[in-house]
Amino acid sequence: MAITTRSLLDVERLTISYEVNKRWIPAVRDFHLRLRPGQIVGLVGESGSGKSTIALALMRYLSGNGRVESGGLLRFAGEDLLRKSDAEMRRLWAKRVKFVPQNAGAALNPSIKIGPQVAEALKAADAIDGDAAYDTMMRVFHDVRLADPERVAERYPHELSGGMQQRVTIAMALISNPELLIMDEPTTGLDVTTEAAILDLVRGLIAERGTGVIYISHNLGVIAQLCERVVVLYAGEIMEEAPVLDLFQAPRHPYTLGLISSVPKPGQSKRAAPLQSIAGNPPALTRLPGGCVFAERCAWAIDICRDKRPPLEQLADKRAVRCHRWEELSQPHPPTPSPRHQMPAIEIAGRGTTKPIRRPAPDAKSATEQAKSPSIAMGGDLEGGWQADETLLRADNLNKAFPVPRSLRELLARTAPSPIRAVDGVDLHLRAGRTLGLVGESGSGKTTLARLIIGLEERSGGKLELLGMDVRNHVRDRSQDVLSKIQMVFQNPQNSLNPYLSVRQAIRRPLIKLRRFSPAEADAEALALLARVNLRPEYADRYPDELSGGEKQRVAIARAFASDPDLIICDEPVSALDVSVQSAVLNLLAALQDEHGSAYLFISHNLSVVGYLADTIAVMYLGQLVEVGEARELFQAPYHPYSEALVSAIPVADPRHSTARILLSDDLPSAQNLPSGCRFHTRCPRKIGEICEREEPPWRPGDRGHLIRCHIPLEELTSLQSGSNPLEKAD
Amino acid sequence: MAEDKPGQAGDFSRVIVALQGMISAQLRHPQSAAGTLAVAFFLLLALFGPQLAPYPKANDQRHDPRVPPTLDIGAFQLGEHPFGTDRLGRDVYSRVILGAGSIFRIAGLGTLISVLAGSALGLFMGYQGGWVDEVLGRVIDALLAIPALLLALVLVGIIRNLQFEAGSWQAALADNVILLVISLLYIPIVARVARSTTLDIKTREFVEAAEIRGESKFYIIFREILPSVAPSLVVEASLRFSYAIFLVASLGFLGFGARPPSPDWGLMVNENRGGFYQLTPWALEFPALAIAILVIAVNLMSDGIRRAVQKGA
Repeated sequence: MAITTRSLLDVERLTISYEVNKRWIPAVRDFHLRLRPGQIVGLVGESGSGKSTIALALMRYLSGNGRVESGGLLRFAGEDLLRKSDAEMRRLWAKRVKFVPQNAGAALNPSIKIGPQVAEALKAADAIDGDAAYDTMMRVFHDVRLADPERVAERYPHELSGGMQQRVTIAMALISNPELLIMDEPTTGLDVTTEAAILDLVRGLIAERGTGVIYISHNLGVIAQLCERVVVLYAGEIMEEAPVLDLFQAPRHPYTLGLISSVPKPGQSKRAAPLQSIAGNPPALTRLPGGCVFAERCAWAIDICRDKRPPLEQLADKRAVRCHRWEELSQPHPPTPSPRHQMPAIEIAGRGTTKPIRRPAPDAKSATEQAKSPSIAMGGDLEGGWQADETLLRADNLNKAFPVPRSLRELLARTAPSPIRAVDGVDLHLRAGRTLGLVGESGSGKTTLARLIIGLEERSGGKLELLGMDVRNHVRDRSQDVLSKIQMVFQNPQNSLNPYLSVRQAIRRPLIKLRRFSPAEADAEALALLARVNLRPEYADRYPDELSGGEKQRVAIARAFASDPDLIICDEPVSALDVSVQSAVLNLLAALQDEHGSAYLFISHNLSVVGYLADTIAVMYLGQLVEVGEARELFQAPYHPYSEALVSAIPVADPRHSTARILLSDDLPSAQNLPSGCRFHTRCPRKIGEICEREEPPWRPGDRGHLIRCHIPLEELTSLQSGSNPLEKAD
Repeated sequence: MAEDKPGQAGDFSRVIVALQGMISAQLRHPQSAAGTLAVAFFLLLALFGPQLAPYPKANDQRHDPRVPPTLDIGAFQLGEHPFGTDRLGRDVYSRVILGAGSIFRIAGLGTLISVLAGSALGLFMGYQGGWVDEVLGRVIDALLAIPALLLALVLVGIIRNLQFEAGSWQAALADNVILLVISLLYIPIVARVARSTTLDIKTREFVEAAEIRGESKFYIIFREILPSVAPSLVVEASLRFSYAIFLVASLGFLGFGARPPSPDWGLMVNENRGGFYQLTPWALEFPALAIAILVIAVNLMSDGIRRAVQKGA
């Protein structure tokens, strides 16, 4: 093991500044890193923590207004990178140091076919051309498990799925056998299933080749599954550095602790306990505090933390931490956090402690209703299954087909292309005051389904009933009564508030419009709503550009609650937020539901998040539901084979946890040309035979209203899947 | 809408803040600052021309004809006739000052009308979409296919030749034919800019949030979308203004604009060209210089506005 002692990358006292408005702002301060060949080091931090800046600086690829301050050390394989000329750096980039970007779609040149584009990288690295280059390329394509490499080489980037594009950029980076690979959130835009496949790939390839990898991510789960050491960054400084197991088992820094406990684990539910969250926002880099950068948000901050910047202390077991109080905090009985920061008190208004959870209990009346109401034509008895209370919203055979414009050839041949069937015969049942979680990969039709229900998209067929009333197709044809009963929280807080309207105006409007409040009443109620989403009254006069992402989302939630709706559709409401903010918003949503008794239709690609908030979960694949059941049922056998793959792909923020991942191919079949029989048969790892291709599977009822649409009987599924349960293994 | 007064004050104060930012950004860039100052100077001339001109009557022929300019920049002296007099004995200096008023009135008003109408049209087309957008879009494309000056000449020619009852509204319209033509030419151009920005803004989620609380089209277009479209409209307006000035001057020069004896710069250039140029070159050069300086100044200013808006966006 001679190589283990040689270090590949040595970084010391690295400070990076950006010039903004003629002032140099230190975005990263005093950064250290050591990387051995074959080692994967994770950089984890929230947006603005300086992760990407470090990546660029390590490659000496900072933008024109950025610079590395003198006094730092940046040594790659014994050479001082800070002294290299641009031409020398270019030679390094061509062969020895490679970068995998977050957005592969934007990193690939759209006008060059994949083959020539990758070959160019090889030519730059080793001056290999022609047949030899082609063979090398095919070998690397094979290594990154690109299906059908010859055809991929002939395609343009836009013809590949996101996962395949990312495989191509990884192939492009690996083709020159680099010594150092920097990966900047390479799986962030991808589905969990694809992410899992790419992580496996990276892990395998690194083990083989001995490349040193710096892996940047905001996702603790990904870091836990992949990295050997982890560096936790906050506001441009290292908070803690440790081997991955130590970091997750015994975090020493309060920030790390906060981050780890604010991520919901798969199977964790709001009923058990609210999530931990970190109050407040990161400091602005232009106005850094004099003491510890985290002091303002830290539950254990004392006077010294605010006055004196803590040094990065090297601990015995190859760890480092930047905290004045780490020794006290790592005692068996750590000091209690300050009450101001005890999350449940401010963040979620006493939820789960004193107030009884208001969730209508099934009573005699609803039982008789259940008996009377007809079962849905889905093979199974949904009605009896979701043993619950009042039906709020009921969708029967909901359909949406987007027409595809005819091509010239089709016009001449007088044929019409088949439409894109985004939602294809979905039956849904929403109960008052409950949360239905909707999960599925991108392209499964979950957002279209939500837009059909809210009326932003016109349905092509099917029926929608709200409290027994027929709901009109388009939002413009709906009565005020219906409008006020269904509201929505959008995905992107950046765009969901009008930048030219103040918070007060944004919240007042639905009060005046839908609840007919007088201006004075609306003003008072707007302030009350702000208080309910834990924003101080002075926020009323702020504009969206003065708010952080989490604050914007709170305002959007207050706006959605303004009309006192019975149903709120949440389309990925936390996916654009940082981890520490995410949990606070989830807690808020749970608390508001208890207060108002509103139902949620909660859409997310993040199964842990859905599992945390939802009472029932529906899994969607290619426009159809494939599994419906209570939230905890989703995380244990039997599952639909598709759900099984989704659950197994969740990156769990626990390095001890390992699952036999069920890897799916990247390619979701086109919704324009749906597979026959069971739609999942093209990717299903548990396909039993021809029946899957020919016949649509039946709904099979399980316990407590659990329904699975599969040809395999549930007992058999259970026995096949027991032992592969990720949660059982985690414990 | 009256119930929502405070709201209205709010979003427009926001627009004003944005405009203030633009102005201060202007001043940081020396070229656009110079342009803006020059435009401001001409605007003063336009507003207070009759007070500033030594001989404020447009057709004051009482002076000696063909007096050369008495302006002496070295000695910092204006003299009796700084820009000389023309062949009819009119003070060129006074006429150039008075001419600023007419060019600002026609070009400015024409720009204002075309920006107001064009943005309303573009916002509506962009938000509505569908066949309305399709049909209006084709009409606009057709209008834009015809060269602007040609269309202007044809329209002015036709309208000038129609006979109207004195005092009727048609006659009033014919008197302002240049204004009419500018508006007609620029409405489609502004509409296209407003439409394309609207297409972008209307996909934002705050517009959908307004739709799901049942807001009227009018409210969504003017309260939710307009503020975000306004910056690009301001840029377009400044650009249109510079083109309008040029168009007014061109029409005057071609004899299709203001009629003699009005002190229109383009007309003054036209009246003093050919053989008269040998006689009184200054009577052509000074109005021509005024046109050139104003057009360049407005262009520099609109450049600065565009830079400021793009930076803000």
